[in-house]
Amino acid sequence: MAFDLKIACLTVICTLCLPVEAQGQIFSDTTRTEAIQEVTVTSDRTINPNSVTTSKKADAALMQATGSLQVSDVIKYFSGATVKDYGGIGGLKTVSVRGLGASHTAVAYDGVIITDNQTGQIDLGKFSSSQAESVRMVSGPDNDLLQPAALAAQAAVISINTGRPQLEGIKSKSSAQLKYGSFNTLSAQAESAFKAGKRNTVSLQGEWLKTNGNYPYTQDNGSSSKEMRRDNSDVQRLRLEGALFSDIGRYYTLDTRAYWFQSEQGLPANILYNENAARERLWNRNGFVQSTLSIRANAGSILRFGLKYSLTDTRYLDPKVSNTQGKTDNRYIEQEGYFSLLFYSHINDYLSFSCGSDVRLSTLDGNGAQQARPFRGIANSTMALKYASERLTLTARVNYLTTSETTKIRQAAEDFERYSPTAGLNWLVWPAAGLHLRASYSKTYRLPTFNDLYFEQIGRRDLRPEQASVTSAGMVIENEVSGIRYSVYADAYNSDVKDRIMAVPGKNTAVWMMKNIGLVTTHGLETGLELQTLQGLVRPALQITYTYQRSMDKTDSQSTTWNHQLPYTPRHSASAVTWVETPYVNASCNLIYSGEYFCNAYNGPEYHMPPYYELGCSLWREFAFKSFDLSLKAECINLTDSRYELVRNYPMPGRQFRLSATFEL
Amino acid sequence: MKRVLKIVPLILAVLSCDPEPVLLEPSQVIADADHTGIFVLSEGLFNQNNSTLSWIDFNTGLPDSWNTSTGNSYDVFEKVNGRRIGDTANDMLLYGSKLYLAVSESSIIEIIDAATCRSIRQIPMNRDGKASQPRRLAAAGGYVYVCCFDGTVTRIDTLSMSADATVQVGRNPDGICSIQGKLYVSNSGGLDPDNPDSTVSVIDLNSFTEIKRIPVRANPGNIYSDGTDVYVVSRGIFDYGTMNYDSRLHRIDTETDIVADTYDIPILSMDLTGGKAWFYGYGAGGTIQVLDLATGQVIDSDFITDGTRIECPYSIKVEHTTRKVYICDAADYVTPGSLLCFSPDGHLLYRVQGIGINPNTISFCDISVRTTQYSGPPQKMGDINRVFEYMPAPGQFVNQLPKYEQGDDAAAMTAKCLDALQYGGMVTLGGFGGYITAGFNAPVRNLEGNDFRIDGNAYTGNAEPGVVWVSADVNQNGQPDDVWYEICGSERKEGRATTDYAITYTKPATPDGDSPWTASDSRTGSIIHNIYHSQPYYPQWYSNDEITFTATLLPDNVTYENGIYKMASFSYGYADNLPNDPLNSAFDIDWAVNDDGTPAGLESIDFIKIQTGVIGCNSLTGEQSTEITLITNLNPKE
Repeated sequence: MAFDLKIACLTVICTLCLPVEAQGQIFSDTTRTEAIQEVTVTSDRTINPNSVTTSKKADAALMQATGSLQVSDVIKYFSGATVKDYGGIGGLKTVSVRGLGASHTAVAYDGVIITDNQTGQIDLGKFSSSQAESVRMVSGPDNDLLQPAALAAQAAVISINTGRPQLEGIKSKSSAQLKYGSFNTLSAQAESAFKAGKRNTVSLQGEWLKTNGNYPYTQDNGSSSKEMRRDNSDVQRLRLEGALFSDIGRYYTLDTRAYWFQSEQGLPANILYNENAARERLWNRNGFVQSTLSIRANAGSILRFGLKYSLTDTRYLDPKVSNTQGKTDNRYIEQEGYFSLLFYSHINDYLSFSCGSDVRLSTLDGNGAQQARPFRGIANSTMALKYASERLTLTARVNYLTTSETTKIRQAAEDFERYSPTAGLNWLVWPAAGLHLRASYSKTYRLPTFNDLYFEQIGRRDLRPEQASVTSAGMVIENEVSGIRYSVYADAYNSDVKDRIMAVPGKNTAVWMMKNIGLVTTHGLETGLELQTLQGLVRPALQITYTYQRSMDKTDSQSTTWNHQLPYTPRHSASAVTWVETPYVNASCNLIYSGEYFCNAYNGPEYHMPPYYELGCSLWREFAFKSFDLSLKAECINLTDSRYELVRNYPMPGRQFRLSATFEL
Repeated sequence: MKRVLKIVPLILAVLSCDPEPVLLEPSQVIADADHTGIFVLSEGLFNQNNSTLSWIDFNTGLPDSWNTSTGNSYDVFEKVNGRRIGDTANDMLLYGSKLYLAVSESSIIEIIDAATCRSIRQIPMNRDGKASQPRRLAAAGGYVYVCCFDGTVTRIDTLSMSADATVQVGRNPDGICSIQGKLYVSNSGGLDPDNPDSTVSVIDLNSFTEIKRIPVRANPGNIYSDGTDVYVVSRGIFDYGTMNYDSRLHRIDTETDIVADTYDIPILSMDLTGGKAWFYGYGAGGTIQVLDLATGQVIDSDFITDGTRIECPYSIKVEHTTRKVYICDAADYVTPGSLLCFSPDGHLLYRVQGIGINPNTISFCDISVRTTQYSGPPQKMGDINRVFEYMPAPGQFVNQLPKYEQGDDAAAMTAKCLDALQYGGMVTLGGFGGYITAGFNAPVRNLEGNDFRIDGNAYTGNAEPGVVWVSADVNQNGQPDDVWYEICGSERKEGRATTDYAITYTKPATPDGDSPWTASDSRTGSIIHNIYHSQPYYPQWYSNDEITFTATLLPDNVTYENGIYKMASFSYGYADNLPNDPLNSAFDIDWAVNDDGTPAGLESIDFIKIQTGVIGCNSLTGEQSTEITLITNLNPKE
């Protein structure tokens, strides 16, 4: 193996050596337990007032109220996130945070990073909201010192947390859910959790979804506009998941998860005038096994090991292509092995410390003759220090990234080595009002993807990682007045993406190539308001967000796109959700609004995308029977049948209805 | 809390200080009188449905523009037609009075009347439910030929504006040119990058069959002819070492149809005139060079002499007489491109900015173009509101103009004729004797001078005259069952016409057979089934296998000189006789006569009948048949 393991090993060894001193303390101290809670308790609130940057969590209540079917749906209600949605259940959904581009947003599943080295983008539409207990997004450095190195080095992280089944006083619990909605969308889900022996909890989950997805849309072409139906947009998905949570003795916990996802779907085409035939198919199979071993010491020190193996098998078929085979049939297999090590410790009452290393080894194989078949090793190391007093939190972190790459054919990309710092401050300036001021700085890198480097004729091996630096400052208020908890936050930021990787024409018009060319500066503002009634028979809640983003192309002052707004980035966007829980019925109403934006780097009138909004509402109620609970829900998505395209020529679905029934034992 | 919230507008105010984007402004053309203007086709971006057509008018010196809800647009196609062209319009050809666009990803051929920029026909290009992807166009002898990426060349009849034949060639043809009765098509095989095609197909235009495949280097693309030879750019296989193509230029001798020369010049695109080629190439940025076709030597390695920088040349055209060089610059591919005009010695004369994204084709135009903004669906034209009878004689456009579809009866065909006459379509009357009877929407009054007008498709040297009859609804029953009066045109007036000449046609045994006829004076002949129109010529909805017409026979107007058939126009008084214009196409009711030739003295007319008046046939354009498009009342009541 040509992968230069030297550096990777070195960082791992460093991490292992560091806690040696501290190891003596493990099992000895019994006094400090609150400090650990400080780390974990923050996730119980949707807005974390102690965070040094915008941090937002969607819990079950918010996912319920927003009528989210897929994880990407609920992210549309997070301020600062721009969801690029190709429409329908099968359409690709990616999230860009703070104008950095979707490849800068990492996705973690139960604390372990999901890697897609081929495209660099994770389709958040593949995760159903019912598999997540909560979804959390942090747009900048996270105060959580227990973050593994690979996630600590990311500009923004979306964490999908499945949660651990709560079985206090009961042996097992099970539930089943059926959903039926417009365009023949049917999904069934079953889940069961039980105790296996004294120390083990087992959780099993299965979900199946099928949709025709043939929603109506309007193809707008002036005098030739047509009412049509989405074609070839069927999706069928199956997910099976099993988890074992073991408490081995007093100090050890071992969480192991096995995951299987498979799907077959049509790829609805870009709606071209006169020619709408869509027949491309996509098959996806993804399985992984991951395991985390945590060793907790009384001193509040934690040593955590993570392991993961993941296999992704993708097949793309276009059955009618004018080549000799008469089709394009591509197969890609990406494999990844992941090893993570993290050590966390208290130095004194105020200071805590963590360090860790992650190593990821990935390969991409496929059936194309010209495929480079790369092997990539990424080692992330991190070291963080945190000062936390009652009113002041300061964090500082250094990340170190090193990569090594080989290919089966042709030359591989060069190896990279990068250091990047992050820092944050949170100051409870006015305790009575619950007013915090906060500020953060982060510098992160995103690696060129395999497509950037090796894809057919446009990939270039001499690409450097993109660099993102973000400075943000803002305030957050969280307080409670007569049973109502309210939170307000506003964060302004400046972000710069340097060495943006873009496809540009090469020396001639016939050969395009990937190049580190772009510079984008974003000035933005993320704000939100939350109101929540904590007690009473009728409990209303409200959440409003507003985002301002001015993402300017600062690549070349002589270029015609100088200062033009980044494509698919509205300057203004907003969302609102309100819901009320009553003893009789629960109801919610949700709204998404996006101001105008452009679908091209040049903001000419022909690329103008009009503003859009989507309104939805739902009613649900829980019924308690002797042996089971039943919850019924009726939803209307896009109540006003607003017809819009989020991505040019990819229409979004109009009005839809959905009914669901959940049984719980 | 309130105080804190005040920060929000403050921050917004700071943020809104950011500079705003600046859009490109068009600039004026400086005096160019060589043509009426230039059409520029821009393909737009792949899968964005944003191909556009710009018209740069040399009268105003500006690109034709209009206001949309989001800003200024230079797309005259959308201006006139209220819709956009579609995705990736790859090529444009100005042929006769029409513009032909090959819209690759939308897979259609768009036919546009150049004078108005109005779309007259869209031909979807599909085979076996798959988009054919039309790529490039060529024209010859009244036909437009289009090569499609699915390995075919389709022939489009410019008169019926329909695809009438398709021939299979090599893989993914990417270039087409016509020369001396042959088509040369470069088979790129570009969809198999590791195993491209490496041939040029030769198609004989008369038989419309592929007669040869000339072996060339791999992946041939653009193909050109200078009137003697054919030049084809062969890109070769992509070299992953240099990350580029190793392109060469072949010269094909069209006498022998073999590769005569191969030049090691990495040409991307060029235009030829007067033994030279102006080109831009691989690996040379925006440099324009000149090649001497006789020697195969580059005689000017940097044509632009004034330092003008072209970022990304995307098309090139040389004016044949003035030798001005026109180049489209695609800039960065996402920004609207520009058109630059250079003097023959390489000085920039003017630049038109912001014309469209990725401008790929330039067409000089000599027709005066006037565009009007779209204001709703097509308006009814002409003054006909009823077609009573449509009885064409056999002919090469019969069953096409209007189109016969399986199951159509006489009523269906008259309805199609009415639609054609009201919405700018064309109706053929077939050979001698074929006729149509129609009613005006209001009486045509007989006033001083001309009273009604009939438009056809005649041009100088191509007259297919039809005799016109008129009738007034004397019995007021709305039916054309009253006395018919012939419009006495120049030939009857001069005694050269034969009235009541009867002709009987017989249905051929096979759909592609000739239709024989016998006339009342024992003359015989046939409507010959030709290679250009493959549909049956005998009207398919006729129940009888024989049909007889009685009509006024006009003298033979066909002459053959120097290999050219000419069909002379008569002086006046016939439909489809002279090119359409207010005088030539007009008729005076005073010309109507009784059977004995005396003036009919009509005050007004309600019905009109037009009947093909000539028996003529030649081997080049087939039999003569009257075609009509528009019938207008020149004296409508106020």
